[in-house]
Amino acid sequence: MLSVSTLDSEHLQLRPTNRPPRPVNKKMRLKESGSVAAGLMLAPSLIFLCVCSIYPFIWIFRYIGYDYNGFVARPVGFRNFTRMFSDVTFWNSVLTTFEYAFWKLIIIIPLALLMAVLLNQKIRGSSFFRGAFFMPTVIATSISGMIFTFIFATQNGILNNLLQAVGLMGSPINWLMDQNFAMEAVIILSVWAGFGNYMLYFVTGMTSISEDVYESSRIDGANAAQTFFRITLPMLAPVLKVVLMLAITGAFKDYEAIMVLTDGGPGSRTNVMFLYIFKLIFGTSTNARMQIGYGALLSLMAAVIVGAVTIIYNLVARRLDDVV
Amino acid sequence: MTDDFENSILLAYQGGTAPDLVGQSIDVKNFADIGAIENLRPYIEKDEEYQKVNEPFTHMFEGLNAIGDEIYWVASGIRSGVRIEYNKALLAASGFDSIPASLSDYVAMAKKITEDGAAKDPVTYGIGFTSSSPFERQLEMMAQVSGVFYYDYANGRFDFSGYKPFLEAGRELVAVAYPDQQGVDNMRAQFAAGAFALWGNASQEAGVFTNQFPITDFEWGVAEVPSLTGEIKGALQTNPNKGYIMMSSSKNKDAAWEVIRFFQSEEFLVGYMEGGNDLPITAYIDERLDKSKMGRLGDYSLLPYESVYPAVPSINLTGDNYRTVLWNAIMGYVDIDAAIEDLNTRYNQCYDDDIMYGSVRRLVIRDYDPMHPSAGTAEYLDQ
Repeated sequence: MLSVSTLDSEHLQLRPTNRPPRPVNKKMRLKESGSVAAGLMLAPSLIFLCVCSIYPFIWIFRYIGYDYNGFVARPVGFRNFTRMFSDVTFWNSVLTTFEYAFWKLIIIIPLALLMAVLLNQKIRGSSFFRGAFFMPTVIATSISGMIFTFIFATQNGILNNLLQAVGLMGSPINWLMDQNFAMEAVIILSVWAGFGNYMLYFVTGMTSISEDVYESSRIDGANAAQTFFRITLPMLAPVLKVVLMLAITGAFKDYEAIMVLTDGGPGSRTNVMFLYIFKLIFGTSTNARMQIGYGALLSLMAAVIVGAVTIIYNLVARRLDDVV
Repeated sequence: MTDDFENSILLAYQGGTAPDLVGQSIDVKNFADIGAIENLRPYIEKDEEYQKVNEPFTHMFEGLNAIGDEIYWVASGIRSGVRIEYNKALLAASGFDSIPASLSDYVAMAKKITEDGAAKDPVTYGIGFTSSSPFERQLEMMAQVSGVFYYDYANGRFDFSGYKPFLEAGRELVAVAYPDQQGVDNMRAQFAAGAFALWGNASQEAGVFTNQFPITDFEWGVAEVPSLTGEIKGALQTNPNKGYIMMSSSKNKDAAWEVIRFFQSEEFLVGYMEGGNDLPITAYIDERLDKSKMGRLGDYSLLPYESVYPAVPSINLTGDNYRTVLWNAIMGYVDIDAAIEDLNTRYNQCYDDDIMYGSVRRLVIRDYDPMHPSAGTAEYLDQ
């Protein structure tokens, strides 16, 4: 039998012994395994998780079978469920959310990766640009929305003036009131507000790739593209997977900036599902009461949708891992 | 705070930290349902001076400040109904000197001003709309004075059918309007800069165009909103304000009542109104004001056909609200007839379901008079 106590530190050899194991009581075993310390360290996070996440979840979901306006809760059986399945506005908002998330992800991830690669080079001013691109992340979402109302203004708007000045268009575009452009406008805003954050994750991932690997590739004569696709991208894969998952869940939950910029319009063109749910729960409609019960049910459905998308992504990512 | 005020007060009440008094901008029915607010009638009945100045029994509005005989707040002021604010110079340049009484003439005027403004540098327009509840600020009020309202009080149903001509006129107006529909303040700034001639909003604009975006480069006028035919067939909605609600959790109710008495005393109200801060709701205060001191607020004096509408039942609505849908119809995102049919179906379906589940009761005013909407007798039915 082998025992840890017989480890010879000088010769790094394990010797057989006939000595019986030292009796260890339960307390000591716990202490030695570090469970107490781990429990203590986890306690604050667990408490916060329970109080700030699990409890509100339970609190709101107990109302899914109620008509609750914040004052009085009346049981309504399955009414909220039947409403949900016939709620055209909600299902349209789900489709709009998919469209918005698709375009946002298609743009934001490659852009963040590209900027991360560029700014990871040892070039002058890269720290400044990292800071500048990250800056929108720390600006309040509602403020971003307001800033972009000025940028997208048809008359005297910064973007239209710029595009006209460089000759890219003749007459100004009505970005926020034209159904052909409103989605583009909210995607531009969300990409601007979010790509700096993902860029920083990628930069952090890249700094963990050993310089020796790059040096070897240079000796082997790899060019920049080969270095990126054969070394950087594969070694960044774990970070990329996490960033993609965060980006997917984030894109499906976006609504604050959209609320400020277009309020879901024009004509529901940018009415994403969480914006619709927000309006239901907080009763911002004329003569419509706060619908906490129905809103809770739609939140649950939205969580199921986002969860399903995340699971599908994880399955695909795992398959890709096997292929790679 | 003003943002999500009602929710903040509810949270404070439930947490035992509610103030003694709150402003009147909360849903009285909701708070009365849970016994969170105090019936002021016992205090009012003992106070003759208060009754003389504030006329509380004359200004009882079912569901708004009173439920049955119980009075939860008393209004001192009133926000006027919507008016048309107009740029006199732009009107004059197109040969107009006043706002017409009929909607068709109003549309024609907006078109003419836009046509004439196309040659100017910078280009000017006939009319401007905001992105913030645009239907409410002009066309809905034109419908009101034409006798069209979205709730049929006499039959206790929602009915949007009467809006069709206003939506069609709205399409014509939008086609010639200033091309942006931004937030209210942005559009006010554009009006003050002379970018368009016609703007619609209530008496708060007196202060806006005097202090916030002072208009100095042209004269601006204030006019009544046009009606469909030029004839007034319905009351224009006004909003009573400057009232105070006593929370039932207050431990200083007598002292709180004294505070209400002070803010609704003759001495305070006359100074407040003459300062151009609000319009009086009572005849007593109105008679005592030196209107020359009120500035442009004097242009918004109440019209004989302005009134307070009984609170329309608040329902669990599925989908977009009527203002959004009707504006979408004006903008051409949905067909006008389809929009009206959708609203009639959806609102009444939700209303019927709410009544069936006991969430709300059907409001019927059998002797309803569109010129005097608050004069009828309200009945609440369970069917």
